Amino acid sequence: MLALILKRLLTAVPVLLVVATLTFFLMRMVPGGPFDADKNLPPAIVANLNAKYQLDKPVAEQYVIYLTRLAKGDLGISYKYVNRTVLDILSEAMPVSLQLGSAALLLAVIIGVPLGTLAAVKRGTWLDVAAMFLSTAGISVPGFVTGAFLIFIFGIWLKILPVALWESPAHMILPALTLAFSPAAYLARLTRASVLEILEKDWVRTARSKGLSHWSTVMKHTLRNALVPVVTVLGPLTAILITGSFVVEYLYAIPGMGRFFVTAVTNRDYDLIMGTTLIFAALLIVTNAIVDVAYQILDPRMKVEG
Amino acid sequence: MTASLNTALEQPAKPVSRVALAFARLKKIPAAYVAFWVVCLICLMAILSAAGVPLSPYAFDQATDDLLVAPSMKHPMGTDELGRDLFARVIYGSRLSIAIGFVTAGVAFLLGTTYGAISGYCGGKIDTLLMRGVDIAYSLPDLLVMILIGVLVGKGTFGILFALGLVSWMGTARLVRAQLLQLKEEEFVEAAKAAGQDGFTIVMKHLLPNAMGPIIVALTFTVPSAILSESTLSFIGLGLSAPECSWGTLASDGWRSLRAHPHLLGFPSLFIFLTVLSFNALGDGLRDVLDPRTRLFKG
Amino acid sequence: MSQSRFLKAAATVVFTAATLISTTGCSSTVDGYEPDTFRINLQAEPPSLDWQTSTDSTSFDVVSNLMTGLTQYNNDMKCEPGCAEKWEVLDGGKHFVFHLRKNARWTDGKPVTAHDFEYAWKRLLNPATAASYAFFLYDIENAYEYNSGKIKDAELVGVKALDDWTFSVKLKRPAAYFLYLTAFCSTCPLRKDIIDKYGDRWTEPQNIVTNGPFKITLWKHEYKIELSANPHFFEGPPRLKKIKMFMIPEQATAFGLFENNQLDYIDNRSFPTADVERFRSSPLYRSLPLLRCSYIGFNVKKKPFDDKRVRQAFSMAIDRTLFPKILRRGERPAYTWIPPSLEGYSEESKSESDPQAARKLLAEAGYPEGKGFPLTKVLYPQREDAKLVVESVQEQIKKNLNVKLQLEVNEWKVYLDILHRDPPQMFRQTWGADYPDPETFMNVFTTRNGNNYTRWSNSEFDDLVDKASAEQNQKKRAAMYAKGDKLLCQDEVPIIPIYWATQNTMVKPWVKEIGFNAMDLQFFRKVYIEKPN
Repeated sequence: MLALILKRLLTAVPVLLVVATLTFFLMRMVPGGPFDADKNLPPAIVANLNAKYQLDKPVAEQYVIYLTRLAKGDLGISYKYVNRTVLDILSEAMPVSLQLGSAALLLAVIIGVPLGTLAAVKRGTWLDVAAMFLSTAGISVPGFVTGAFLIFIFGIWLKILPVALWESPAHMILPALTLAFSPAAYLARLTRASVLEILEKDWVRTARSKGLSHWSTVMKHTLRNALVPVVTVLGPLTAILITGSFVVEYLYAIPGMGRFFVTAVTNRDYDLIMGTTLIFAALLIVTNAIVDVAYQILDPRMKVEG
Repeated sequence: MTASLNTALEQPAKPVSRVALAFARLKKIPAAYVAFWVVCLICLMAILSAAGVPLSPYAFDQATDDLLVAPSMKHPMGTDELGRDLFARVIYGSRLSIAIGFVTAGVAFLLGTTYGAISGYCGGKIDTLLMRGVDIAYSLPDLLVMILIGVLVGKGTFGILFALGLVSWMGTARLVRAQLLQLKEEEFVEAAKAAGQDGFTIVMKHLLPNAMGPIIVALTFTVPSAILSESTLSFIGLGLSAPECSWGTLASDGWRSLRAHPHLLGFPSLFIFLTVLSFNALGDGLRDVLDPRTRLFKG
Repeated sequence: MSQSRFLKAAATVVFTAATLISTTGCSSTVDGYEPDTFRINLQAEPPSLDWQTSTDSTSFDVVSNLMTGLTQYNNDMKCEPGCAEKWEVLDGGKHFVFHLRKNARWTDGKPVTAHDFEYAWKRLLNPATAASYAFFLYDIENAYEYNSGKIKDAELVGVKALDDWTFSVKLKRPAAYFLYLTAFCSTCPLRKDIIDKYGDRWTEPQNIVTNGPFKITLWKHEYKIELSANPHFFEGPPRLKKIKMFMIPEQATAFGLFENNQLDYIDNRSFPTADVERFRSSPLYRSLPLLRCSYIGFNVKKKPFDDKRVRQAFSMAIDRTLFPKILRRGERPAYTWIPPSLEGYSEESKSESDPQAARKLLAEAGYPEGKGFPLTKVLYPQREDAKLVVESVQEQIKKNLNVKLQLEVNEWKVYLDILHRDPPQMFRQTWGADYPDPETFMNVFTTRNGNNYTRWSNSEFDDLVDKASAEQNQKKRAAMYAKGDKLLCQDEVPIIPIYWATQNTMVKPWVKEIGFNAMDLQFFRKVYIEKPN
C-alpha cells in the first residue's frame, strides 16, 4: 500500500509536466490576451506592457522561462491583479475553499450514502420514489438556482440565515448546502444502484430470507463492496469541492479559489491559469491515489498497480 | 440515450424477439413504462421542432408587444423581455437540449465504457497509463478547452456537441474501471476463463452486464449535467448565438428574474427536471429489464 | 430497520443547526444602520490600487476616495480646486501653471508638493511602469516620445516642479479638456520615497500613503476593503468614520443584503435589472443619466456597408424607443453620439427613424425589398444586455427592411480580439466617457483612434475634432462638435447610436449628502450617516 502511494508520487511528476505543457500551449492558442480591454490601448503602451511581463518573447522561450521558474517553486505573477503573485492569491483563497468544500463533501456523503442505501433496501416504496424525486431535483437543478432559492427562502424571506458573506459558521450553512445538493443526489443514486446489485446476489438473497440478524451481518460485509463506485466518484469530487465552486462563491460572495478557474481564463491571466490548473491536477492525483488505496481496504481482492 | 443503450446491449447477436421481450417486461414496471412514453413524447417534440413543424402559433424568435407578461391563455408560459412566447421557445429549445442529452450519454457510454473496460480488465501497467491519461484530461481547464473548440471547430450545434462529448466520458470510464477491477476477481470470471472464453467475450458477457447499475446512474447523471453545461458554454460564447435557444440558456437567462418573473426560470427548469426524471425512471427500469438475474416475475 | 433511527438523526441535525443559527446567526440583519459607517458593494476585487496601473472602475472607486489630484470633480462634473488651490492658463492654452495649497498633507503628515506630481507624471509616462492610461498625458510635450521609447530622457517631458508649490505643465498644442485630466485618478501624485522603499508592495494597506479624504485600513482580497477617515485631509476629516466596501459579484445577492440592512447603498452596477421595475416607485430609488452610449458599428470597408446609403437605411430602420422597454433600466434612446448634457449636442445632428425612407434608400442602393442583400454578421459579446439589443435589431431589420441578419456571440476577450483585428460587418459596442467633455466621444471615430473599429476615415471629421479640441471659444467649439456629430449620425453613419445608459441606485434613508454624477464616479467625502427617527 505504501509502495503504491510512493509510486504514485513519482508518476505525479510526469503527469503534472504533461498537464503544464498542454495547458500552456492551449492557453496561448486561445485568442485575446491579458491586456485586451474594452478601450483599446495605443500600440506603444501595449508594447510596454508586453515587455514588462516578457510576453514579447517567442512562446517557446516563455515556456522554458515558465518551467524554469516553476522548478524553483515560483508560480509566477498575476497580470490582472497587479503586484500580486499567484502564490499570494491562491494561498489566501485556498483555506476558504478547503473549509467550505470539506463541509459540503461531508454533507453530501452523510446525506447521499444513507439515503441511497435506504432507497435500495426499501425499493419500490414511497421512500424510494421520494428519494428519486429529490435526487433528480439535485442533479437537474443547477447550483445557481438552488442557491438563489435558498438565499431567498432562508435569507430574505425567513431571515434566519445570512444572505451571503463569509463571517461566521452560520455563513457556511447555505453555501455548503448549495454545494452539496448535486453531489449528494449523485451519491444517493449511485449507492442505491450498487447496493441493489449486491442485494440481488444469490447468497445475499438466501441470507436475507434466513432472518434479520443473519441479514444484518451480511449487510456489513456487502456494503463495503457496494461502496466501491461511491469511493470512485469521491476521488475527483473531493478535488473539485475543495478547490471551490465558481457559482457558489459568486452567489454568496465567498473569497474562495473556485472563481479563479473561471476568471483566470476569462482574463487571460496566464500564470494564474497555470497555477489553478496545476494545483487541481496535483490534488486530483492525490485523491485518486487515495481512492485506489481505499479499494484495497473495501475489497482486498482488487489489485491496483502504482 | 435509450436507443444507444438498447442497441449496444442487444448487439451480441440477439434478434428482435429480445427487444420485444424487454418491452413486455418494461410494461410491468409502471414508473418506467410511463417514463418511456414521456421520453418518446419529448423526443417527438424535439424532432418535430427540428423539422420545422410549427408547434405553436408563435414563432420562437418573433417579438410581440407583450413584453414579460405572466402565463395566460394567449401565452401559456408567458413571454420574455422581447415579447417572445416562452412556450414556443421552450419547444424549440428542446431540440438542442435533447440532442445534447443523447450525444453526451452516447459518448460517455461508448467511449467511457470501452476505455474503462480496457483499463479495468487489463489492469497493471496499462491501467496505470490509461488512468493517468484520465487524470490529465480531467485536469485541463474545461473553459479554455471549450473556448478553443469554439474557435477551431466552430460554434453552433456541432461545436457544442463536440465540446460536451469531449468532457463527458471520464467519470464513466473511472466507474467502469473500478467495477471491472472488482468483478474480475469473482469466481464466474475464473470459470469463464477456464472454459476458454477470450477477454472480449468475458467483458461483454459477464463483466459489463454485472456493472450496469452504476453505469446507468452515471449516464443518467451525464444527461442533465450536459444540458446544464451548455448554458455555461453560452456564457463563454461557445454556445448558441441568439435568437436560438435551449433549455439551458433559457434557464440561465431567466434565473435572475426569479423574484420578478419566475416563469422565465420555472418552465425551462420544469422541462429539464421532467426529462431527467424520466431518464432516471427509465434507466432504473431498463436495468431491471436487461438484467437476467432480476426476478420480476415470480413463478 | 433504520427508518425511525434515520428520522431521529435528521431531527438531531435540524436541532443542532437551529441552535447554531440562533447563537451565531444573523445578529446584524435587524440592526439597520451602523453608526458613522457606510457599507457599499464594490462588486469585485480591484485589480490594483496603484492608481497609475489600474484601468478599471472598481479600482477607481476605491482610489477616488483615497486620493486627490491637482483638481477634483464635484457632482456636476466640474473641476474644483484639489491639491492646487488655483491655476493659470498661459500661452493660448498651451501652458498650465498650478499653485498648490500648502495645507495638503499625506496620511503620514508630510506635505503634498509639486515634486510629488512631477515624479508621478514622469512615472506614469515611464515605459517601465507600463501604465495603460499613460496616453492621458500624450498632449504634454515629449510625453508620447518618452513613453514610446523614442527619447530616453525624462527631463525633456514638459512637466516641472518650479518650486515646492508650483507645478508647470507644457502642452504640444492647446487641449480644451486638459484640466479634466488633472482630476482623474491616474494623474494623482505619488511618493517617491514610499515606492522606492516598498517596491511592488507599496499598495498594501500597511505601506500605502495617500492624500485624500480616506485612508485604507484593511484589504481582505476578494472580500472586503475598509477605509477610515484621514485626519490630515485638507478639507478637514470627513464625517464618515468608516467605509466598508464588500466585493459581492452577484447583483441579486447584494440586493438581498441591502434589503436586510447589511448594505446602505446599491450602486448602478449592483442593481439587478429584474428589480428596477419593482423599486422604481420606492423613495429610496434614484436615477441619473450616465455618459455612456451604446452603438451599432459598421465596418465601412466591408460590403454592403461600404455604401453609405445602406448604413443610412439601417439607421432609419431602427426604432430607438424600443430599447428602453426591452432593457428596462431607464435607458434614453440616442439619436446623436454626443449626449444632451454635453456641449456640442444639437437637435440638428439627430438621426430620425423612418422605415419608409429606409426602404427607399435600400432600394436605391440596389437591394429593393432586401433582395440580394449579402449575408451579414452582427458580432456581440456574451452579455445579457448586448444579446437583447442585437436580437431586437435583428428583428427590426427583418421587419422593416426584409434583411436577415446573422448574430454571432463570442466570449468577451475573443470578441475584443476580433474587433481589434478584423471587425465584422456589424457589431455592438459601448463607449463611456473618460472625462465630461464631447472630445472623449468624438475622438473615438477619428482615423487615428485605436477604438475606431469602423475603419471609417473622414478627413473633414478628423479636422473638426482636432480644431475643436484646441479651440478656446466655447461657442465655436460647440458648433464644431455639432457639425461633426451630424456627419457621424446623419451623413456618413459609420455608427448607429442606440441608447444612453442610466444609472439606477438605491440609498438607505439614513445616508445623507450622497451625490451622483454622470460618470458614475463614487466619491464619498461629503457623505454622513444620520440616525433614523
